[in-house]
Amino acid sequence: MTTTYPRNLAALEEIVADTARQFAAFGIDDSLRDTVDLAIEELFVNMVKYNRGAAHDIALDIHPIDNGVEVSLTDFDVDRFDPSQPVTVDIDAPLAEREPRGLGLYLIHKMVDSIQYEYRNRQSRITITKRVEHADV
Amino acid sequence: MFDIQTNELGQVAVSGRLDAAQAERAQQFLDKVTGECVIDMNSLEYVSSAGLGVLLKTHKRLMTGGKGIRLINVRPHINDIFRYSGFDRLFSIELSSG
Repeated sequence: MTTTYPRNLAALEEIVADTARQFAAFGIDDSLRDTVDLAIEELFVNMVKYNRGAAHDIALDIHPIDNGVEVSLTDFDVDRFDPSQPVTVDIDAPLAEREPRGLGLYLIHKMVDSIQYEYRNRQSRITITKRVEHADV
Repeated sequence: MFDIQTNELGQVAVSGRLDAAQAERAQQFLDKVTGECVIDMNSLEYVSSAGLGVLLKTHKRLMTGGKGIRLINVRPHINDIFRYSGFDRLFSIELSSG
């Protein structure tokens, strides 16, 4: 199901509520919510911050997959920026050298199972997947 | 819904979701804190990188005076975010007992 949101941070509350509704409607495991919420927020906020001139709303798609969920965010009239590329953050750096920059994408890469990027006709589509982790028996 | 206030123990109590929409409000509150800062996270449900940025900025400021932030009653899934971010190396963190 595709929903669209205005490009401002106030939309996050509605996104979280809609995500919860779609998880319930699709029967997606609720244990994935924190990771999915974080990934959606980090990607959405990047689109809001770095593509301020665009008029089109940002589109969000949530689909159930086997044991998990696939989420895509689509931005319009945007320059190429590929968030699927590895992000380096020195988490061992001392406090004085730590900066929050890059931490959002770094967390996404740490927490989701896959991240894909498509770019054509000045549209970017970022797709992440996350599946339930089963303990080895 | 996010809230931040000083509790009866003089600690900073945060609750709800500390996301990018709430980070500025949290920063404004924490900018007024001086000395050692204990943040009770028992009711914090969610934190994103925007919230981490608020904690980092405040911790840096307070550490220049030799104090800093101590995080208490941290829920396991919030602590996971701290570990992934390397914040467990920067902050004193006490997990929630519940």
